[in-house]
Amino acid sequence: MTTADLPLAQLAAAIAAGEISAREALEACIARIEASDGEVNAFTGKSYARARDEAGAVDAMRARGETLPVLAGVPYAVKNLFDIEGEVTLAGSIVNRSDSPAKADAVLVRRLKAAGAVLVGSLNMDEYAYGFTTENTHYGATRNPHDVTRMSGGSSGGSGAAVAARQVPLALGSDTNGSIRVPASLCGVWGLKPTFGRLSRRGSYPFVHSIDHLGPLADSVEGLALSYDAMQGPDPLDPGCHALRVQPVAGRLKRGVRGLRIGLLGGWFDDNATPPAREAAAGVAKALGATGVAIWPDAEIGRAAAFVITASEGGSLHLAELRRRAAEFEPLSMDRFIAGALQPADWYLKAQRFRRIYRDRVNALFEHWDVLIAPATPVSAPLIGEEWLDINGTRHPSRPAMGLLTQPVSCAGCPVVSAPLWPQGTGGMPIGVQLIAAPWREDMALRAAHVLQEAGVATLTPALSRRDRE
Amino acid sequence: MTEQNVIDYVRAAAAMLDLPLDEAAVQRVATHLARTAAMARLIDRAGGLVPADEPAEVFRPAPFPAAGADE
Repeated sequence: MTTADLPLAQLAAAIAAGEISAREALEACIARIEASDGEVNAFTGKSYARARDEAGAVDAMRARGETLPVLAGVPYAVKNLFDIEGEVTLAGSIVNRSDSPAKADAVLVRRLKAAGAVLVGSLNMDEYAYGFTTENTHYGATRNPHDVTRMSGGSSGGSGAAVAARQVPLALGSDTNGSIRVPASLCGVWGLKPTFGRLSRRGSYPFVHSIDHLGPLADSVEGLALSYDAMQGPDPLDPGCHALRVQPVAGRLKRGVRGLRIGLLGGWFDDNATPPAREAAAGVAKALGATGVAIWPDAEIGRAAAFVITASEGGSLHLAELRRRAAEFEPLSMDRFIAGALQPADWYLKAQRFRRIYRDRVNALFEHWDVLIAPATPVSAPLIGEEWLDINGTRHPSRPAMGLLTQPVSCAGCPVVSAPLWPQGTGGMPIGVQLIAAPWREDMALRAAHVLQEAGVATLTPALSRRDRE
Repeated sequence: MTEQNVIDYVRAAAAMLDLPLDEAAVQRVATHLARTAAMARLIDRAGGLVPADEPAEVFRPAPFPAAGADE
């Protein structure tokens, strides 16, 4: 067994037990990156010197007989919108190349470092996070490790692909409209979009202040939980961080789903899912003992509100550079940024006013349910460059359509785990299933995810899925 | 609202914001803006908003739970 075969928690345990040194684990990780990234194109920056220092520090702690922190020696990488001290934060752009290097690590990077994790580099993304495909014109498309002719999803496509290619067991991403869940779905890895306001965003390049979330993608549910716990904590300096204390989840994973009220989302989430996506969600519903079908209130309008808010805030954020350097922007998103900057104020204000009502309606739904199930994407990974998708006979532009099923959920701020499923009819490609809980109840979504993982219903590779074993 | 209305709006709003756009860009931006206009109409049609409904504050999906509430 190689370190690539060890899920994150087992790798951390092996390092803590002295079976593998942190430096050995790192060198194996670097070898995997060097062997695979020419094809996958997940990485835009490699911080191997720093990583060797961090791994060496872990090994030194162990040699001194000190207790190692929970993620000691675990290699990870971050979407390139996270500040890394001494490096320019690109956020997928070339415009930012002229920025000064970051003076400090992002808060979440600092917290992972404190937990012993080892940062190996930064990852490709859609420019300024405005996209669902990571077909980045400046840095090249990140290709899906399961079929390199296909999209990795986005905007955290490098994060999804790096975990799927076993380059790293853990990566950080951001999710405004689905940018953790879409690549987790298309690449077949675990993803967690926490409650809006749970994790500090300080030191990350913003996209839409009103909706931006940060979170992990990982090779296992334990990987999500351990890294999420390590990153929790209040941050009075981030006005969007509402958490007042840490609510650890890793110790709760094995509580199962007995007693939880679990439902399958119908309506919008069924209407906009292709048969393989429906099959994946139905399989999860069966495995978790879902007792009924629930209807998410105003899903289509919630998506519309997210769409309008995103366009307006994103366009406004980049207006100054659009005036001066539009030609340096990503061609796939530049026109959308400009259109957003031109939107009438009425659209934006009504969307924000609607969001307040929407939140109350969504929270009322969770008076009757604990975990709700829906596909994460309507389809499995399209071919790179695909312009149109057919979803149940309706033609959709492929790039925005990838967020049809994620946007209504993040607009409400609910926590979601994306679980990797491998349904029939996708040519062997994965589709993620969202496990959605009420605000601040990440623990419930993760408990359900753990049940799926232990049952072999949701797995990182199709070869290990229950269907293939039977 | 006609296609030409959207194009005219893009030209005027871009000029107001001092945003230089060539004719090809005006057409492309208008296509995107028309898509967003359809989204905005959905929100309008939803109704239910009364004058007292303020925009969301720095958005909080729900109050952070009191200690012990998550047990």
